[in-house]
Amino acid sequence: MRFVVVVKLKQGILDPQGKAIRKVIERRGEKRIKDIRVGKYFEIEVEGSNRKETQKTVESISKDILSNPIIETVDIIQ
Amino acid sequence: MKVGIVVFPGTNCDRDIFWSIKTLGGTPVYIWHEQEDAGDIDCIILPGGFSYGDYLRVGGLAKFSKIMDRIGLFADEGKFVIGICNGFQILCESGLLPGVLMRNINMRFICRDIFVKVERSGYVFTKNIEGKILKMPIAHKEGNFWCNNETYEGLKKNGQIVFSYCTLDSEIKDAANPNGSLHNIAGVCNIRGNVLGMMPHPERVCEELLGGVDGRQVLDFVGRENG
Repeated sequence: MRFVVVVKLKQGILDPQGKAIRKVIERRGEKRIKDIRVGKYFEIEVEGSNRKETQKTVESISKDILSNPIIETVDIIQ
Repeated sequence: MKVGIVVFPGTNCDRDIFWSIKTLGGTPVYIWHEQEDAGDIDCIILPGGFSYGDYLRVGGLAKFSKIMDRIGLFADEGKFVIGICNGFQILCESGLLPGVLMRNINMRFICRDIFVKVERSGYVFTKNIEGKILKMPIAHKEGNFWCNNETYEGLKKNGQIVFSYCTLDSEIKDAANPNGSLHNIAGVCNIRGNVLGMMPHPERVCEELLGGVDGRQVLDFVGRENG
């Protein structure tokens, strides 16, 4: 079963990488980009056919390993 | 004092620490990160470097190494644990120290000398040097210390802020902050005071030949019997 996990910085945590990218885009003439925040994207293949169970496994590794809950949030997309 | 130096794949300050501890009268031993037992030692140091290539997050994979369980118990026993640079990042990731070290605010790897003020003493690492200004090098891309307000208030209240970036005149202000750290924090300890994390490298300034000896003031406890 395939899952996609997106890890993002929490709102309010400064993201200098996103800011730098936005600045470059602005310099290239596109003035409408108000904010960019950079995150991490994981594609995860899990063995098993029980959706609930595999989802639980993915939730647990997302929380414990893929993200640092002090500054990041996790979205499991599918 | 017998000091264990933990070596992860990607650690690169282990030999500097080894040399400095020996120079200061301690007995250093290397501990491979997959060892479950640290042996009979009095202090554990997690050196700087790029454990696991900084993959995922700095320190984010090293915290799952076998030796880390032992280090947690070691800290619970009140023995001394120091994390320097990447070691500090690992201690924060593993929850042995509060907060997190984020990307430097200017997005750059910074390698230069800075000044820190020793904010507290009483505990072994900074015994007798409270208020002193130390010159040490930093070398990191993720040294921007951050924690939430509640944690910060706790750090202040419990005297857990050990080092703050400052000017030569001991002023703690933005101009002296190399990486964007919250309130110029360069090093913190746990409530008990036996676990210390710091971004500057004391082991690189233990020899006149290398440009300074201020690091000795932090590390010279290793030459004593019980700290």
